[in-house]
Amino acid sequence: MAVLGADNRRELGIRRFPMLVYALTPLVALVLQAWLPRLLLGYAWFDLPLVITVYFALVRRDPVQGMLMGSTMGLFEDALTHHAIGVNGIAKTVVGFLAGSVGVRIDVENHTIRLMLVFLLSLLSSVLYLFVYRVLLGLELDWKWLAEMMKALGSTAIAAALFPLLDRTQLRD
Amino acid sequence: MESFFLRYRNLLVLLAILLAQIIGLAVQVRRADNGRSTLDPGDAAGVRLIRLWADAVVTPPEKFFHGSKLGAVSLWQNYMDLRHVREQNQDLQKTIDRLRLEQAALLEDAKQGARLQTLMDFQQKYIYKTLAAQAIGSSGSDSSRVFYIDKGKNYGLESDMAVITADGIVGKVREVYPRTAQVLAVNDQTSGAGVILETTRIRGILRGNANGRLQIVGILADQRIQPGEKVLTAGGDQIFPRGLPVGVVEKVVPDPERDSFIDVIVKPAAHLDRLDEVLVITSTEPRFSDEQQQDMATSEAQKGAEAAAVKEQQKASQIMAERLPGLADPNAPADQQPYKDVAPPPTISATPQPLHPDRFTPGATSTPSAEPESGAPAAKPSKPAPKPEQPGRNP
Repeated sequence: MAVLGADNRRELGIRRFPMLVYALTPLVALVLQAWLPRLLLGYAWFDLPLVITVYFALVRRDPVQGMLMGSTMGLFEDALTHHAIGVNGIAKTVVGFLAGSVGVRIDVENHTIRLMLVFLLSLLSSVLYLFVYRVLLGLELDWKWLAEMMKALGSTAIAAALFPLLDRTQLRD
Repeated sequence: MESFFLRYRNLLVLLAILLAQIIGLAVQVRRADNGRSTLDPGDAAGVRLIRLWADAVVTPPEKFFHGSKLGAVSLWQNYMDLRHVREQNQDLQKTIDRLRLEQAALLEDAKQGARLQTLMDFQQKYIYKTLAAQAIGSSGSDSSRVFYIDKGKNYGLESDMAVITADGIVGKVREVYPRTAQVLAVNDQTSGAGVILETTRIRGILRGNANGRLQIVGILADQRIQPGEKVLTAGGDQIFPRGLPVGVVEKVVPDPERDSFIDVIVKPAAHLDRLDEVLVITSTEPRFSDEQQQDMATSEAQKGAEAAAVKEQQKASQIMAERLPGLADPNAPADQQPYKDVAPPPTISATPQPLHPDRFTPGATSTPSAEPESGAPAAKPSKPAPKPEQPGRNP
């Protein structure tokens, strides 16, 4: 893993995207996350909002932007469920923060590193969700770790296909 | 000071965002009397506003995707279906005719049942009006088994209305938005419905587990519960009308938390994972629809005509029995006579007295010169009458 100093951030440069990509990608991710499980009959093992959050936090290399993206996506996800609003919000805020912080320090051009990050952050998101739901709120919720592992793997697989496509949409100087 | 904020800007923003969301969560959770935390059943205004925004953002594209998918699928299916539609139509017409007759007969029973329940002061609810809706999206999370339908407040939907399919129950309306509504499926962990086992009449509460499977909880171990038994709604939850199919018992497992209790795993009757069209029960009133009334009237008319025909047939048989001498045995006892009339024979109070009695008059003596008992003068016959072959038998 290529660990970079803070000074190298400028050298690497921050990727920029058209506004349409910023606006449409999260929206499409949210819509597909809500729509695809109906087609996949319970085998929807992925978290598209998390994948998008990690991607933009990594390539923008800004923890604040990652946090804002993560909290927005998480709140929207919570709003579509019947659970309390904020559980996913907290989990994805932390994920966005960590992805943005890591993006400052490592070489985000490396595809393998990005996929590993998606896998780990997906598991972390599940842990945070369970922590907030059970410990912080004291609510009852049965949990399946196997399903969460499958979800992390599914998100990683989607990231493997999606990240190169999104890379192509970036603006070049 | 300024350098502190600049240096820890990211952490401070993180803390601020997390703090805001934690406060927001604290507002939504209530501490119950038993010490457990529960979600506030009714969303606060702010929470509902966020849900409304999310619905407004996500639902229109979902409807577009759903419509595109339906268009593509129906284009192909229509072609395939049209190939055998004529034969299917004829078969269906026959089935409809048969079902109409069966329905008329069943409605008779239902009507009688309703009368009896009224007598028992039992508030039975019948499904009176339903609204068809399309399932267009889900929550996107396994831990929240809710889905969205394309009908909302504009179509008269309200919270806690039951959602069903032709196969069985699906869930209840949880949140209603202007053009959409959120439905909580019965296999969610927070859902609950009163159910009854059809054969053993054991009642329980139906809920979902983490795997999205239905289970009846809080039942004492009972050997009579066997796989394959049907599960119906009990009607006591004020959501689902009584008697709707829920599913069949798949297996019985011990309750992991309580001894001597069991969990009954239920295979749902409705395909909860692949819902397309659902019916929302918008009205449950103890009355029949116009169509059902018409069916009952038709049934009663048919029953009346049939009864009249049977009565006519019995009357004709009786007349025939009386006119055919070979069918009646004068020596046989009355209860063994064929075509005997079950009604008691009419009693004749007194024999009518003839105005001009002669020797053939019942009760008169054989000699023509005999005087009648009444003292009336005996009339001479103008010409001899033939002797009856069987005295005592009136034709």
